[in-house]
Amino acid sequence: MQPLSVKDKSSYRKWLVNMHWLDHTILDIHQALVKKTVTPLQLVEEALRRAKADTWNTFEITTEALAIQQAKALTTLEVNNPFWGIPFVIKDNFSTQGIQTTAGSNILNGYIPLFDATVYQKLIQAKAILIGKTTLDELAMGGTGMTGHKGYQYNPFDASKTRQIGGSSSGSAAAVSSGMVPFSLGSDTGDSVRKPASYAGLVGFKPTWGRISRYGLFPFAPSLDHVAYFTRSVEDASILTNLLSGPDTNDATSSTQPLPVYHFSQTIPGKKIAVIHEVMDSIQNPIILQRFKQTLEALTKAGAQIDYVHFPLALLQAIYPTYMTLSCAEATSNNANLDGLKFGPGYQGKTYQDVMMQSRTAGFSELIKRRFVIGSFVLMKENQQDLFLRAQRVRRMIVENLQKLYQTYDVIYLPAAPTIAPKFTDSSDRLSSQYLIADSHLALGNFAGLPSVTLPIGFEQNMPFGANIMGRAFEEATTLEVAYVLEQFTGLKNLSILTRKPS
Amino acid sequence: MKKIDKTLLLDASTRLLFVMTDTQYEVLIQEFDILLEQMALIGKIEGVDHVAPMTFSLQNETMQLREDVPSPSLSQTQATQNATFVSEGQIKLPKVVG
Repeated sequence: MQPLSVKDKSSYRKWLVNMHWLDHTILDIHQALVKKTVTPLQLVEEALRRAKADTWNTFEITTEALAIQQAKALTTLEVNNPFWGIPFVIKDNFSTQGIQTTAGSNILNGYIPLFDATVYQKLIQAKAILIGKTTLDELAMGGTGMTGHKGYQYNPFDASKTRQIGGSSSGSAAAVSSGMVPFSLGSDTGDSVRKPASYAGLVGFKPTWGRISRYGLFPFAPSLDHVAYFTRSVEDASILTNLLSGPDTNDATSSTQPLPVYHFSQTIPGKKIAVIHEVMDSIQNPIILQRFKQTLEALTKAGAQIDYVHFPLALLQAIYPTYMTLSCAEATSNNANLDGLKFGPGYQGKTYQDVMMQSRTAGFSELIKRRFVIGSFVLMKENQQDLFLRAQRVRRMIVENLQKLYQTYDVIYLPAAPTIAPKFTDSSDRLSSQYLIADSHLALGNFAGLPSVTLPIGFEQNMPFGANIMGRAFEEATTLEVAYVLEQFTGLKNLSILTRKPS
Repeated sequence: MKKIDKTLLLDASTRLLFVMTDTQYEVLIQEFDILLEQMALIGKIEGVDHVAPMTFSLQNETMQLREDVPSPSLSQTQATQNATFVSEGQIKLPKVVG
């Protein structure tokens, strides 16, 4: 599959006429299904054709036979169900009964779950059709798309295959931005959907912690883990939120809060938007800064009140180490069940401890081992006060400062990342403000469990970049309504490498 | 706080039940240097040690204890189907004694 030439406007117009229905948003595809201009089987066959032509290393596994069988079985149209017959993919850290699930780690090679994750079950009940399971950073513990056991995930927007797509939900981002499917599921513990969304030109949305059941999602750091997803429009993100939300007796952290009710409009009169000075100061890219400024003007024209506000610099600089400390500590204990006895490739040993040692040594990559050691170190009795508990204290200070802002403002609005997708060879100064603040601020949404959406706002070097809106807890509607106004302004709704308009 | 050195990290990785190479320990020590430097900055935040630790930012306010309704559990075959070494319906481990 080749991206459309961005130079040739006449061929773009011709292509538009013959554009496949798969290259539309969920809601538009649904209208075509209702009018019978396309069938679920045609959508699935085209999605599978594109999946087979994948050159970006998007899949852990494809589910062709199951998808064809499900598409053929859909004979009775459900007019009020926008997910009926829509192909999708899911990150390989969600349990899918009978379908191999490895979380991108060799220690889980061959593992076939006995039950479905609640979110997968909801999608299947809505008669959406799974095309495959996607690559990720091993055990979802990475932000580059480079550490999964299948190797590097390439960014479809970069034909030279030198750029990351970000992670950890790397394959799920690639599947939507390359046009294989109109939506995909991922998970987001630090920014694992919202950062790749910026690098891949997508809408990436993480609702409030507790809004969506995590039953069947492999736990990384449960106090920070969220189900999240990629779509190509804000409205698609809203309908997916309402499908997946709701209490689940299998997840005691799931909430019974009423579902969001959205009022999408061209204007957002009276909405108060905060832009954090210190985050803006940590971003140097002039194109991103200029484009962001233009979006602020658009929001003002739409009736919003924009204020630059201050946030304690020391707390912003603390985001990354706090995240590392908390997430590694939680991950170390959560992954203790990966012992190589109950599941896994089956390594030999003289004692059961030896079997575990062999399994964990061969099964985990170097990065994962380092993170587990960090987690173990910060939890040691002698270190807890200075490391783990101190990180938990900082988390409270950060959350309380955010809550103060939300007493005045409806949302916080910032560039999602300081750069376009980095190259595989790029490295960062991990004590710089850009790394500690601009590259890490999306984790604020995980610390406080807030709804947070990234959407594309522009391009640099033909690579997309995005902005992020973060709202109050359980106010997904306001968060997405502001995003909708931005989407109208940018004209980047339904962006993929196939639908991108000539520059 | 314990001092980071290879002996300490070797002990931690052994308790975590995996082996790391010398090169991997060197990378890990470098990573700790940066993380601990970052954490030292956190220690300087005014009042940080007078704040209560936070585990969850939002209350789990809405879930009630569910009724204790019996439901089918996994069969022995299902429970062992992902294990490589199975014998007589049990996951087989190397002998503990003898």
